[in-house]
Amino acid sequence: MLMPKPDEGTIAKRDEIIRAMQSIVSDEGVITDKEELRAYDCDGLMAYKQVPLIVVLPESTAEVSKVLKYCFENDVKIVPRGSGTGLSGGALPLADGITLGLGKFNKVLDTDFENRCVVTQPGVTNLAITHAVQHKGFYYAPDPSSQIACSIGGNIAENSGGVHSLKYGLTTNNVMGVEMVLMSGEVIRLGGKHLDSQGYDLLGVITGSEGLLGVITEVTVRILTAPETAKAVLLGFDTSEQAGDCVAAVISAGIIPGGMEMMDTFAIQAAEEFVNAGYPLDVEALLIIELDGPEVEVEYLIGQVNKIAKDTGAVHVKISQSEEERLTFWSGRKAAFPAVGRLSPDYICMDGTIPRGKLSEVLREMNKLSKKYDLRVANVFHAGDGNLHPLILFDANNPGEFERAENFGSDILRLCVSVGGVLTGEHGVGIEKRDLMGEMFTEDDMKQQQRLKCAFDPNQLLNPGKVYPTLHRCAELGRMHVHKGGVKFPDLPRF
Amino acid sequence: MQISLQTNPVSLQTNPVSLSDEFLEELRTVVEQRLSTVDAVCFQHGKDESWHESMPPGAVVFAHSTEEVSEIVKICARHKIPVIPYGTGTSLEGHVGAVHGGVCIDLTEMNEILTVNAEDLDVTVQPGVRRKQLNEHLRDTGLFFPIDPGADASLGGMTATRASGTNAVRYGTMRENVLSMVVVMADGRIIRTSSRSKKSSAGYDLTRLFVGSEGTLGVITEITLRLYGIPEAVSAAVCPFPDLESAVNTVITTIQCGIPVARIELMDEVQMKALNAYSKFDYPEQPTLMFEFHGTEAGVKEQSEMVGDIADDNNAGEFQWATKAEERTKLWQGRHDSYYAAMALRPGAKGMATDVCVPISRLAECILETRKDIDEQELLSPIVGHVGDGNFHCCFIMDPDDLDEMARVESVNKRMVMRALEMGGTCTGEHGVGIGKIDYLVAEHGEALSVMRSMKIALDPDNIMNPGKIIKL
Repeated sequence: MLMPKPDEGTIAKRDEIIRAMQSIVSDEGVITDKEELRAYDCDGLMAYKQVPLIVVLPESTAEVSKVLKYCFENDVKIVPRGSGTGLSGGALPLADGITLGLGKFNKVLDTDFENRCVVTQPGVTNLAITHAVQHKGFYYAPDPSSQIACSIGGNIAENSGGVHSLKYGLTTNNVMGVEMVLMSGEVIRLGGKHLDSQGYDLLGVITGSEGLLGVITEVTVRILTAPETAKAVLLGFDTSEQAGDCVAAVISAGIIPGGMEMMDTFAIQAAEEFVNAGYPLDVEALLIIELDGPEVEVEYLIGQVNKIAKDTGAVHVKISQSEEERLTFWSGRKAAFPAVGRLSPDYICMDGTIPRGKLSEVLREMNKLSKKYDLRVANVFHAGDGNLHPLILFDANNPGEFERAENFGSDILRLCVSVGGVLTGEHGVGIEKRDLMGEMFTEDDMKQQQRLKCAFDPNQLLNPGKVYPTLHRCAELGRMHVHKGGVKFPDLPRF
Repeated sequence: MQISLQTNPVSLQTNPVSLSDEFLEELRTVVEQRLSTVDAVCFQHGKDESWHESMPPGAVVFAHSTEEVSEIVKICARHKIPVIPYGTGTSLEGHVGAVHGGVCIDLTEMNEILTVNAEDLDVTVQPGVRRKQLNEHLRDTGLFFPIDPGADASLGGMTATRASGTNAVRYGTMRENVLSMVVVMADGRIIRTSSRSKKSSAGYDLTRLFVGSEGTLGVITEITLRLYGIPEAVSAAVCPFPDLESAVNTVITTIQCGIPVARIELMDEVQMKALNAYSKFDYPEQPTLMFEFHGTEAGVKEQSEMVGDIADDNNAGEFQWATKAEERTKLWQGRHDSYYAAMALRPGAKGMATDVCVPISRLAECILETRKDIDEQELLSPIVGHVGDGNFHCCFIMDPDDLDEMARVESVNKRMVMRALEMGGTCTGEHGVGIGKIDYLVAEHGEALSVMRSMKIALDPDNIMNPGKIIKL
């Protein structure tokens, strides 16, 4: 993985930059000690590491604005960071860049039950939002499995989903507004407590922009009333085709379950060994379907799903009889990653999304690839929206195995794109999938996307080297004014 | 800040470019005889359904494919001639007016439904496909496309203006329902914004950027939309209230309780009077709510009982139910015709429909103050609204030649918009900006508007895509 070459000039100015930062934020908010910096050297994608130039931890929007303004005026790169749980390396530091941590933005500012929304600082964790409102029967719907640790600001940067996004949407469908600081230090507000604003949908553009367009300093999200009841059904199938058919039949019957997850034999066995969730071990595919809503409706839909399952060949059907049992059903799925981790020294988690109808085709191809690369793959995925998370198992101590796993992963993502899907459903591109963007988008598509970047950050100082395989100077893309005549990354455009 | 609403009927067209014979010849090499410079055709393409006067383009071309659109735009880009995409012309803020003249690309002949993926619940269409045409086509699949702005608009136009409608409260607006599209950019390049998959976090979300861009960033030539299963049970009800306040409070409580109503519409007493006269109903002429519930038999029953209880607490009158499809169609057609019904209250007058949107906790306050303002200024304007979203419309029925009346309309409208902004709302819920609401965007977005401006410049440096809309450069 090639990153832009660090700018020696910036590194030489390190002391000067530290002094400037100390004049903006409190003393303990500037981390310069090599050992302390090591804590920030990667995010959830631990295969790539880099110690940042320094880490700055501002406490207010005004401080963020001053930091960005300084960096803008002095050509210093910035990498924003939330909780560092991202899986695609979006917060990977730069040797010549400041890592801007938002951990001190940890307050819920306003719980507005009348308008069903919460205003919060970006460093608050996803789950803490639900905790702040659940006493009144509300919750925040998108629930990435890392919700106990990941921050809401990071969720917006990656457009995170979760098991419930099938019915309740991704982050982009649940964010109502943000306050953000642009690279120039200007503070803007987008959206608010009302329905869509007019003009260009900047809020939609910001969501999923992986820290390349600005730094989010305040967030307004929609909260929902918790459903009256929820029940889960466990369905076992002899073949993954049958499970795929069942998913398709449920959706085309007009039923949108709260969650619909699928696991393959390998993942089932790993999870069952780990948490004893009561999964059947003699099946090739397992579906967990959750239905939520008013009691009468849930009862009725469970009946419908049961019937569809039988028609599509389910050999194992179990309906949760209590809240405790429902949570047990989920415990295996939610613990699938660590469970698989127990079976193999290393694994990488992929994140492709395909049109639902292509499920069995893709699974078949994936098994072929597994044989070709001689690596095991466990599959857990959000079946309802076609979002796959294949886990490729390998041992990094065996020479060449990591590269083989990487290539296997790339082939899986190419496969997803070739059937009409996308490279990433919810983890983002970051550096992990950066060099595969060309599989999904043409050069023209990507150039147009990067023109947007020029409107926000003409000097390419925010999180450079992420998402796009080729950096284009704004001057190449259109007739943008090039700040101070300076050309960024003289060694680019290709790296 | 100086905000002026253009209410005089004089055309806002300024220095329309003249199109040379050579230029038109060049266009003809692409579209052959599908090019018109006839006055009547140009006049019709420079006007939408609003009170804005026509601003005719210099020529209209009827495109048949993405590649043709790309060629047309390339020619226009070379000559720096403005390009205005045109769907069905049912917009309400002057979106299709050729402010500086130029070439109108009429997309109505690109009206094919390309692929229906029933298993994946999506459909790919050309931009000229109309909403009703799509739902006719889908009928035997058990699926439907829910967004319903009233008019039988084209899906390209609905995408470009981020249309919403009566059931946005359950299904969202176009923002939530466009999965991907093919767009011809200002330099003629063809790009695809995403794919058919239901979620993506790959790259910037250009799909959302183009939804609602009103033709100012590119021409949309293909759209992939999300579909839904037709609900097993649907029922609708009409319920009168003693006053506006109790009707609005019923809405607020319903939404706050999280009851998943599919539609919840408010019509005030003025509108009910117009509706009875125009659509031959005999509803009580009082503030009224119309509801629709979607779901399973059991779910619909439970939802309607819960709403019934809330309405009773607010002194509602009798619920009238419509469970048959024909009755419901008649009911919603009546609601959709409210603009025409209101116009019929004062024959010969013109209508100016405007809309704002506020957080739901401020809805009652905003509607009541606006109603009071309209009455004090002795104007005729019914209030209707998709109140479940906090969105409501006024339709001023006015005589554009009466300058005093126009001035009062202008002041009431301005106060309504400023009131909505002050309450944390937005200057238009669903009609878009067009030319009608450009000035209010400044008040609403502040600094963010400068980002929108640089974005427009980045994607369309010569400002040829529908110039003069959304943002003044």
